[in-house]
Amino acid sequence: MRNFGKTWVVLIAILIVILLIALGVFRWYVSGYNKAVNYEQGAEKGWADIDAALQRRLDLVPNLVSTVQGYAEHEKELFENIAKSREKYFQAGNRAGQIEASNQLTGFLSRLLMLQENYPELKANQNFLDLQVALEGTENRINVARTRYNEAAEKLNSYTRQFFGSFFCKRAGVEKVEYFEATEQAKSEVPKVEF
Amino acid sequence: MRRFSHRLILILTLLPVLAATGYGQADLPMPQHYVEDYANAINDSDERSLNGILQELEQKTGAQYIVLTVLSTGGLPIEQFSIELAEKWKLDQKSKDNGMLFVLAKNDRKWRFEVGYGLEGFVTDQYCGRVGRNVLVPYLRKRDYSRGIYEANLQIIQRIASEAGVSLTGMPRITPVPVRGRRRSMPCCSALPIILFMLLIFGGMGRGMGWWFFLPFMMGGFGGHGGYGRSGSFGGGSFGGGFGGFGGGMGGGFGGGGASGGW
Repeated sequence: MRNFGKTWVVLIAILIVILLIALGVFRWYVSGYNKAVNYEQGAEKGWADIDAALQRRLDLVPNLVSTVQGYAEHEKELFENIAKSREKYFQAGNRAGQIEASNQLTGFLSRLLMLQENYPELKANQNFLDLQVALEGTENRINVARTRYNEAAEKLNSYTRQFFGSFFCKRAGVEKVEYFEATEQAKSEVPKVEF
Repeated sequence: MRRFSHRLILILTLLPVLAATGYGQADLPMPQHYVEDYANAINDSDERSLNGILQELEQKTGAQYIVLTVLSTGGLPIEQFSIELAEKWKLDQKSKDNGMLFVLAKNDRKWRFEVGYGLEGFVTDQYCGRVGRNVLVPYLRKRDYSRGIYEANLQIIQRIASEAGVSLTGMPRITPVPVRGRRRSMPCCSALPIILFMLLIFGGMGRGMGWWFFLPFMMGGFGGHGGYGRSGSFGGGSFGGGFGGFGGGMGGGFGGGGASGGW
């Protein structure tokens, strides 16, 4: 009888240990899985913010162009380029395409702003100055959103490459995302304005 | 030993230089007052007046508004400098996204208004730009920094106060910069003061865009509770907690809105 009791105790102890281990594995799995999902959500949200800022800029472009056009009729090529890269953004099916199109647009827009050096009347136009501030504000928002997105993307991307991370990412169907890098041209041609 | 002493001399000579050129990354200690005049650009009476007005502004509207002057941003673009500080100081924490930071870098000849999400609707980029161009810069060109900072910030303060429907007792009379071209066709226009008011009361609830979703809810629950204090941690915990990732997420209450320029 006493032997029987001992076996039970041992059995229950083993069972508890197994349960604890299973629980531990389960929690580890859940937290690893959730981490992948959270990182993906972080990057998604970051991209949504970028998208909003880019959209804001695209909404601004027609107004800006029509204001400048009144003063600088000869710059047809630039206006066409702006329209083209705007179109390209809308047609781009994926992030990489959108990133490329918006970097192009950044370059063209900064050239548009620089036109004020050649057309002094433009510089004196209050409407233009307002639009210019709006554009700068939008560019700045894009920059901020881009920095935050890239931080989130870095977290996600390094997780997808980690030893267990890659396993969880596969399970959760999470893939690494594209960084939003400003092109060199865009960096050097950030609209610079002196009042 | 000699090398060591060399290095020591180098450090000793470099230190004052580093201290003089200012702050490598945007890091300054938490502000103790609403006006932090590191560049000594604001005279005492203006500083005292601004401090009083800004304190009243926070008490009445919840908006945390800091006026900062530095000699230099230490090579950082002023946009980066200001948003890093605004985030670090968490100017949005207490009152949910209505933080506001004015920065003037005296030797860099740059200024910036950094506007929190909650204020962007009526302290628009264009408006900040116009205040900068028409009020601030003319004074700066005359090297009257103190007046310029004072007058320009009063404009924005006045705007925040009137949008919130409060009047500030310490406020001198000013002629407001015209708000032209307000292209806000959003339906929220007329409801903004109400929304702001609710934001103050239900401080902790949703952040950024988040509170939109609670709007009907807030309306419904309005009559039920008695005695709202201004400090709103009222029920906020349960709502805000779950929704943290929406507007606030990583960055917090600033998204880069505002305007900057030089003189």
